[in-house]
Amino acid sequence: MTGLNRILRRGRTGDRGAYWFILPYVIFFCAFVAYPLIFSFVLVFHRWNIVTPMEWIGLKNFDRLIGDALFYRSVLNTLTFLIIHIPLQVVVALALALLLNSGVRGRGLFRALYFLPVVVSGVAVTILWQQIYSFDYGILNNILHAAGIPSVPWLVDPRVAMPSIAIMATWKNVGIYIVLFLVGLQNIPRELYEAANLDGAGTFKQFRYVTLPMLNPTVVVIVVLSTIGGFSLFIEPYVLTGGGPMQSTLSGMLYIYNQAFSFGHMGYAATLGFVYALVILGVVVLQRRMIEQDVSS
Amino acid sequence: MDVNSCVRLFLPAALCAAALVAGCNEREGSSPRAPRPVVLTYWPAPNPQEILLADTLVRVWNRLHPEILVEMQPIPVSISTEEVLLAAIAGKTTPDVCSNIWPGALHDYTQSGGLVRLDAFPDFDSVMSLRTPRELLERFRVADGHFYEVPWKTNPLMMFYNRRLFHEAGVLDVPSTYGGYLAAAEKVVTHRYEGGTPDVWMGDRDVRPIWWQRLFDFYPFYIAASGGRTLLAAGQPSFGDSSAAGVFEFFRQCYGRKYFPRTYFQGGDPFLLEKKATHFSGPWEVAAIRKFAPQMDFGVAPVPVPDDHHGPVYTYGDYKDISIFSTTTHPKEAWEFVKFLVTAQHDLLLLRICDQIPVRGDLLENPLFAAYFRENPAMTGFARQAVYTRGMDDAPDLKEIFDAIAQEYESCAVYGRVSARDAIREAVGRTNLIVEWNR
Repeated sequence: MTGLNRILRRGRTGDRGAYWFILPYVIFFCAFVAYPLIFSFVLVFHRWNIVTPMEWIGLKNFDRLIGDALFYRSVLNTLTFLIIHIPLQVVVALALALLLNSGVRGRGLFRALYFLPVVVSGVAVTILWQQIYSFDYGILNNILHAAGIPSVPWLVDPRVAMPSIAIMATWKNVGIYIVLFLVGLQNIPRELYEAANLDGAGTFKQFRYVTLPMLNPTVVVIVVLSTIGGFSLFIEPYVLTGGGPMQSTLSGMLYIYNQAFSFGHMGYAATLGFVYALVILGVVVLQRRMIEQDVSS
Repeated sequence: MDVNSCVRLFLPAALCAAALVAGCNEREGSSPRAPRPVVLTYWPAPNPQEILLADTLVRVWNRLHPEILVEMQPIPVSISTEEVLLAAIAGKTTPDVCSNIWPGALHDYTQSGGLVRLDAFPDFDSVMSLRTPRELLERFRVADGHFYEVPWKTNPLMMFYNRRLFHEAGVLDVPSTYGGYLAAAEKVVTHRYEGGTPDVWMGDRDVRPIWWQRLFDFYPFYIAASGGRTLLAAGQPSFGDSSAAGVFEFFRQCYGRKYFPRTYFQGGDPFLLEKKATHFSGPWEVAAIRKFAPQMDFGVAPVPVPDDHHGPVYTYGDYKDISIFSTTTHPKEAWEFVKFLVTAQHDLLLLRICDQIPVRGDLLENPLFAAYFRENPAMTGFARQAVYTRGMDDAPDLKEIFDAIAQEYESCAVYGRVSARDAIREAVGRTNLIVEWNR
């Protein structure tokens, strides 16, 4: 019995020590996650512009949201962005990952180059693309002009602006997804390719029936990450277009930012934030149902 | 050593160290010393000219008033001064004095109790009456009947034009009406074509739907067309008339006939590069021309008005004023410093260093300023126009209202998707909702 008590006591002492180790994260979590989340939820029922006292308004923020055409527009724009961005992201990342996985020379250099935009500041990248897309002095239009093709209004035509932003976002983020695909590709057992080879499957069939199904979990992760990242679309429209032309690039996050920090509607911005979180959840659940397969089958 | 042992060992040592430091500070505070000077913090606008002006004035002040030291720190750079000041009010980190107060944001500052009431100082009226005409000053009185800002400087929005480009295109008279402007634009734009697009545009504006961009096109044109009205009357939108629709239609013609490009330039200011014939801007542009395009032969005129317009041409004044924040512990000293900033001598410095117009009634009569205007004839037009300027309404929703206008302006004027009347009707409708929501 005495031995058992000693062991239990030592266990409890060890537990107390462990609390000290998790304390920094608990403090961080409380300060930067739990408190803002609870405070945002309180804001949903208030009108507040930071400097004046909060005013309780019940469900008025939701009432406003239901009749707010710009809210629906921002959701639609974000979904448009995702529809262009996600397939583009997956296809480009997979193509480049396959290329890098094929034993091409200078693989490390290419991997570093593709990853470079990921670690560069989003604002810096966006300003760079502003120069590339510029209608009058942009590199792209200069090339088109030299080839005798009329200039494209990359950022000032409502039909072209969002695809232009999607291309830019793909360029910025593709590096991280290449790495994920490379990990997925390197985890596919070689035996599967050997078996397929013995069955007479060519390169395309091996890709279609071995590589793609085996990469499905990676594709799911990439689609989910891209979706969540896509719903956070902010810097690009903020710097490049201000949400225009004709509100065609007004993303959800930009709209929330405008409401909160341009117009001082903290309560309404919090309401928008919570509703967007539900939209993201819905879209991600839907995506997972559509894409996720049982690899073993 | 486990974690508990570490805590047991270091905590008493840390407490001892803290006590020792506190004790040292106490001893230091109790030693007899000469009375410390009052220290004020002053935030000017963060542009190089105003920093230079502020630095010059603060040096003079500190030499003359060693008992009230002023520390100058440019407003932290951000998207806008207003965002910085609101954040500072929320965090109670505002300076004592700031000289970049935009009247459009004053409502938020006063509602939060962030500013000191200036007319509570006994000499406020006498100081103001020496500098600013009463009628103009009254426009800065807020809804509660008091003054919270000293009108400091105004930048009347006017039309700059390139004489050489006009001359080459055969434009003999400076356009003063919409009809005249469009006729001149036709000549300028068709005069030189290169690769299917005009080599020289009549003008351009940033087409992005950013609310404050409309302060430099729609708003001055609306004030001019309406004979000096602003957007709201008794807190309700009052711009649903033919003046506002006329302004939208005018810009719709400018974009529709390709006198203005549907883009924004990034390879430098096209007016300075002599790639456009007109430019709507304030007096700060004069310094920019002097510095970057000294060869340019330019003139300044009031913004165009409807063809049937009568009477003086008003415009947006783009005022920036001086306020004292309520976080100050030395309001009297801060007020003395504010008075120092707006003396005639220092208004002359404002002109000389910043090329911006002080809100004074005697600019063109006072001999003190005569030499400056003789040396800078382009600035005389701004000084004359300063009398015919309007600022912003005292309302909480201005940015959102301008955002609604910017969205409709983009739909109608830039892309021609809706008629001017429908766009204005929509903007007024949205403004009504905004006003109602914010009550």
